Amino acid sequence: MRNIGNIAVNVIKDSFRRKLFLFAFIFGVALLGISPVLPTFELGIRASFLRDISLSLSSIFGVILALILSVNQISQEMEKRTIYNVLSKPVSRLEYFLGKYFGILATIIVILLIMFAEVLVLIFVRIGVFTPILWQGFLAIFLECSIIASFSLTLSPLTSIPINVFSTILFYSLTHLKSGFLYEKLVEGIHGAARIFTWLIYYLIPNLENFNLSQEVGYGKGVSAPHMLRITGYAVLFACAFVIIGFLLFRRKDL
Amino acid sequence: MSETAVLLENIRKTYKSALSEKAAAVENISLSVGKGEIFGLLGPNGAGKTTTLKVVLGLVLPDEGSGSVLDFPLGSKAANSKTGFLPEQPYFYGFMTARRALDFYGKLFGLDASERESRSRSMLERTGLRYDSSLTLDKYSKGMLQRFGIAQALINDPELLILDEPSSGLDPVGQKEIRDLLLKLRDEGKTILLSSHQLSEVENVCSSVCIVSNGKVAREGKLHELLEIEDLIRIELKGGKEPSANLKKLVREIRATSDGIVAELRKDALLQVIDEASSLEMEIRSITPIRKTLEDLFMEAIKEAR
Ligand SMILES: Nc1ncnc2c1ncn2[C@@H]1O[C@H](COP(=O)(O)OP(=O)(O)O)[C@@H](O)[C@H]1O
Ligand SMILES: [Mg+2]
Repeated sequence: MRNIGNIAVNVIKDSFRRKLFLFAFIFGVALLGISPVLPTFELGIRASFLRDISLSLSSIFGVILALILSVNQISQEMEKRTIYNVLSKPVSRLEYFLGKYFGILATIIVILLIMFAEVLVLIFVRIGVFTPILWQGFLAIFLECSIIASFSLTLSPLTSIPINVFSTILFYSLTHLKSGFLYEKLVEGIHGAARIFTWLIYYLIPNLENFNLSQEVGYGKGVSAPHMLRITGYAVLFACAFVIIGFLLFRRKDL
Repeated sequence: MSETAVLLENIRKTYKSALSEKAAAVENISLSVGKGEIFGLLGPNGAGKTTTLKVVLGLVLPDEGSGSVLDFPLGSKAANSKTGFLPEQPYFYGFMTARRALDFYGKLFGLDASERESRSRSMLERTGLRYDSSLTLDKYSKGMLQRFGIAQALINDPELLILDEPSSGLDPVGQKEIRDLLLKLRDEGKTILLSSHQLSEVENVCSSVCIVSNGKVAREGKLHELLEIEDLIRIELKGGKEPSANLKKLVREIRATSDGIVAELRKDALLQVIDEASSLEMEIRSITPIRKTLEDLFMEAIKEAR
């Protein structure tokens, strides 16, 4: 299992080399770009509004980052044949797959932390309010990213990059539509076998709206500790499920 | 401890593709590589050599058949930790320097930092890359990549070295260097399994060969045995009288030389031919088994397998 670490560290180094950390810089610029469009309300509302939009922006950036990191992580190594020099050594496919996944997560954590710091500084500089409660929002974004990454990494050895990107975007959209639209239109509106089938699908895909805390963190006092724990468990459950499926498919893949 | 380094039994592999069921890449391959020998997997392009080597390493899972590497299951960690592999047209992380890449590969074997340092240094030395070790690998030429590929395959001081077309794409000097390196490694006691479509490479270094064609074994065995033509001997005679009718009847073919004759005959006629020659007062200059060239053997095997 030692090699999980070696593979993961290599993913992080590769992200450095691909200059993915510029992502945090671009985020900063985007943040500065949208923050002037503030309605001129009282201080409290301005703070809420800033928190809300920076969390929404962070969420979009996080998801794109997770996608960029995962989509070609394994397929590129297969295409360039660098995978042979790794898997012909005493590295099991499980170690390889988990190493890739944990490397992606570690990279996301580092970049999200930088983004988190940027948001804190920006809000402080603009309106003089320090809002550490935002950590809840960022943790939720990380949890969402971990599910997106596990989904895309699972597809990575099996599909081409365009198909993977398309599928992940579709997955993202479905998992966000789920709570409102899907439930009302599909689950409630149909009957019989189709209804059972739709229920199954409904429960097999996660509800990523669970990780959108921009209302609670932006306008309220955040969420309770048990709530954080609950969504963490929810993310771990789905991420594990995808990683297990991904590994089982990758295990028998011809290289 | 068995004397077999690699054993494959009735391996069959068809690559599954979503669009169509293709013909088997490897239909039925069995082979056994003895410890300490250089074993050549010889075959035309597309014969299934790379697939066979990938099966040995566990990169491709066979549909049928079984095997072992150094008495461990194919592709197991235990087997791979004692094996070094040079892929066909090797490619490495282009952003790493040779030294960094060797360090990374050394880590995958669990070597500690000082071991990695000293082994990297000596492998770069051996493969003639010492002065290029701080260049990133995307700046390496094809020949340098091939040599680096061998360096990384040796990083764990493997018992078994698996090389897929080690000298393809190299100039004659590069090919000769690889050949010398392989012979030296064999003298150090390593077992080498290589694939090639170049007859001269196999002829020069391999003690055993397996000729594959269309995913099947066409010939396998010790090279010198495979090249011997069964029962045929060549005898060279000097001086004496004109060959008699009796002598001509005993041999299959006879040809005059400047000062005597050369004849080809079946082994069991040898004693009679010698008697006849001495009665003709001829002097025996040499008696040799007749050998095919590897090219003859190769063409014959490929034709039969079709
Ligand atoms: N990944 C793959 N998917 C589908 N077919 C393959 C794959 N790799 C090899 N083949 C096919 O299998 C056959 C044997 O290929 P290979 O083992 O590479 O032969 P060789 O190394 O002797 O040239 C060829 O017909 C080749 O087209
Ligand atoms: Mg090949």
